[in-house]
Amino acid sequence: MRGILSMTCRLADNVQVRKENWGLLFYLETRHKVFFVRSGDWLYPEHFDGTWTFDGIINDIARRTETPAEIIERSLPRLTERLIRSRMIIDEVC
Amino acid sequence: MKYADWPLSAPVNLTWEVTHQCNLKCIHCLSSSSVESPGELDEAECRAIVDQLATLKVFEINFGGGEPLLKDFFLPLLRYIHTRGIVTCISTNGTVLTDEAVACFTGNPLVNVQVSLDGATPEVNDRIRGQGTFHRIIKGIERLAGKNIPLSINTVVTSLNFMQLGQLKEMAGSYGASLRVSRFRPSGRARESWEMLRLNPEQLRGLSDWLGDDPSILTGDSFFSISQDGRRHLGLDMCGACKMTCCIDPCGFVYPCAFMQEREFCGGNLRETTFKDIWDNSAAFQYFRQLEPEACRKCPRFNSCRGGCPAVAYFVSHDLNSADPECLINWSRDISAAPPLEG
Repeated sequence: MRGILSMTCRLADNVQVRKENWGLLFYLETRHKVFFVRSGDWLYPEHFDGTWTFDGIINDIARRTETPAEIIERSLPRLTERLIRSRMIIDEVC
Repeated sequence: MKYADWPLSAPVNLTWEVTHQCNLKCIHCLSSSSVESPGELDEAECRAIVDQLATLKVFEINFGGGEPLLKDFFLPLLRYIHTRGIVTCISTNGTVLTDEAVACFTGNPLVNVQVSLDGATPEVNDRIRGQGTFHRIIKGIERLAGKNIPLSINTVVTSLNFMQLGQLKEMAGSYGASLRVSRFRPSGRARESWEMLRLNPEQLRGLSDWLGDDPSILTGDSFFSISQDGRRHLGLDMCGACKMTCCIDPCGFVYPCAFMQEREFCGGNLRETTFKDIWDNSAAFQYFRQLEPEACRKCPRFNSCRGGCPAVAYFVSHDLNSADPECLINWSRDISAAPPLEG
């Protein structure tokens, strides 16, 4: 878990993202495809600018939404793994 | 809930017709383009609209309508859009390309170009797009080919070119381009040519089978209702008007889609109100978002397609609550009702 927590994520090349009230809308420029992520108020596009560690994102969500950190720690990896598999984001080791 | 029902703060993409001016007079033109309309937006107004769209994070702008390359400020506008990071798709008739335009498109990651060609031979294409246009369009395609420009040839499928779709695909491939097919819809000048050019039920079935067999053929979102379910995962599977997309006309009026440019469907004008206000609050857009044609509600496919293309339904029946007459269910019914072929 410690390894994951120190990783950062950034948008993949040719991908854009915007915040919607139900979550994030990703757009793949080369294929003109959209990808809906129902993340509610947890994630923001800024979280994928390459500067936020997993740990930082968890703390940010917990602070803003008052969700216990352990719940976020359980759910967030599933969400980000899906985004990585879909090639919307890339994870990087700091 | 389907993805297209998830409320969006702005469209994913939109069609922008920057001018009604066109050097061709295609008999199926959706916007009856020929000469510039009085009161078309000027460059400063267009840039201000781009600023709004960029703030809203609209991902893509598709230029079409008249011939965008005839607008004197089109290329500067395009460059400005690219500085805002918005992807563009330029739909052109291919006959007025300049060196400057080709240079602007070349190697540009935010540019896609679509050239309209409506037949694999002059005999077919020129009946639709005008005498002598086939060779001029091919010259345009040749100027764009091999230049690191994502290129597609766009064909509006009609009874005239239906038999040439395979040839058109080969032709596109020979230029390193994709073939994209569009539905023929009875708006603009196509209202006059509808009966002559529309596909019959057998052709609709052939088109559906052909598309089902070949996922490399690109289609617009209006194909969800006329093709088999196997193709649905390739794109949007219901009408995206006012949900994912909309259309800005040359004078700043905003409509649900490029095929629904009727005054009664207008959401507002960008000279008078903001794009965001039109998208969120206009009565026309709110109506389209909840449109579920009565004629379709008992159909077994209703939950899949929500009623097909409203533009075709409206222009054929003048009733938004009627069904898309070319939807898979309707053409299947027409075929089964036809007398058996004598052999």
